[in-house]
Amino acid sequence: MAAAGSGGSRADNGYGGQQARRRKGPGALATGYLVIYNVVMTAGWLVIAVGLVRAYLAKGSYHSLYYSIEKPLKFFQTGALLEEYLLIAKYLPGIVPSSVVLTAFQVMSRVFLTWAVTHSVKEVQTEDSVLLFVVAWTITEIIRYSFYTFSLLNHLPYLIKWARYTLFIVLYPMGVSGELLTIYAALPFVRQSGLYSISLPNKYNFSFDYYTFLILVMISYIPIFPQLYFHMLHQRRKVLSHTEEHKKPE
Amino acid sequence: EGKSLRDEEILQHLPVGTTATLYFKDLGPQIGWTTVFLIEYTGPLFIYFVFYFRMTFVYGLDERFTSSPHPVVNLACICHSFHYIKRLIETVFVHRFSRGTMPLRNIVKNCLYYWGFAAWLAYYINHPLYTPPSYGKKQINFAVIMFLLCEAGNFSIHVALSDLRRNGSKTCKIPYPTKNPFTWLFFFVSCPNYTYEVGTWISFTIMTQCVPVGLFTLLCFIQMTIWAKDKHCTYLREFKDYPSHRMPIIPFLL
Repeated sequence: MAAAGSGGSRADNGYGGQQARRRKGPGALATGYLVIYNVVMTAGWLVIAVGLVRAYLAKGSYHSLYYSIEKPLKFFQTGALLEEYLLIAKYLPGIVPSSVVLTAFQVMSRVFLTWAVTHSVKEVQTEDSVLLFVVAWTITEIIRYSFYTFSLLNHLPYLIKWARYTLFIVLYPMGVSGELLTIYAALPFVRQSGLYSISLPNKYNFSFDYYTFLILVMISYIPIFPQLYFHMLHQRRKVLSHTEEHKKPE
Repeated sequence: EGKSLRDEEILQHLPVGTTATLYFKDLGPQIGWTTVFLIEYTGPLFIYFVFYFRMTFVYGLDERFTSSPHPVVNLACICHSFHYIKRLIETVFVHRFSRGTMPLRNIVKNCLYYWGFAAWLAYYINHPLYTPPSYGKKQINFAVIMFLLCEAGNFSIHVALSDLRRNGSKTCKIPYPTKNPFTWLFFFVSCPNYTYEVGTWISFTIMTQCVPVGLFTLLCFIQMTIWAKDKHCTYLREFKDYPSHRMPIIPFLL
């Protein structure tokens, strides 16, 4: 589920969900590492963005652009797992518990789409729906990681904050549509090849139908997507109006 | 803030001055522990039978009401039923609960979990295409013996724990090994009832050689480890002379 990320609610610092007063925050060394991490991730997604643009200009069409950014996409999307692990293991400080669950959800679904669908079912790699979610993710992640970078350096331009909490309104549905269409496109090939499926009888007395599983995944978007979307709209109102209040007394 | 008062504390004896402020907390709709357990455990018992007797809608019309050629399938049904009947008997006659109720929401969650898993594993064990264990009779006999030992152990622990509260008091006391050899696990572990319970499910997994059973066992293990650690911490907090070498659930390890 592509999203503008929902870690951290009120404060400017994406990692410290507390009041925006004199925050203790991570120590200098930890901050250093975090800044480097976020800069690297921002750069990575920029590489993907540039790769897409260049491939588009070279080919003259927007079809089958997946191949030009396949490797960096896999690398940086999977890298987000590390981030999620750090959040859960509490190496990243001051995290609001709900945001850990939400981002875990998003990361898992993205990794699932990258590896278990797009990578595994080669026939869908030429689908336009892949481009749809890749573009959505790319823009989202560039903004999100630069948001974290600037927050850690305590120099957050309002534009970045606004972008992070506004662009999702378009990007999130865009990403979700791309994801759903891709899964749907993969279905007949999964059925045909029996990918990742095991049937009875076997000595472990277990069966798993990947085709049905994918359908269940698609259905699960129905309850989950609106919840996440409205949660982020709610966050948006809180964060952006909070800044307005701070601006007025001046 | 702070722990709530216990049911049996008397207002007059509380260490406060002439005026005291009492805070009340609405716990929401509650349900008795005994009721919860009865509902939670009766479900799997009957759900398993639906699959064992191959009711019409489960495996297709051709297979309805047939029975399996494998004796281990009948054995599994007996063991599974025995386990839940034993739990029901313990709930009614043995357990003494320190708290009378739990929130109503929990019962939906718990039932979904117990009933859902019972259906899932019963489906595979009683399936027409079920494959018996690879090592045949040896594997099954070993599993049955382990199952019986663990069930006996689990029952002994429950009786021992219940005896600690025999005179109707609701206070916590350190459990110690008794003459019953099954309770000697108390030398090593704070919550041997959980240890034995995990053992039961491991033996059932070996008996049926079925992945869904294995997954259920794994989840049980995780859940019980969490409960055991909590209980262990409570013991450590309440008793200064608590035996220090005891582990929560697995001797020497966990």
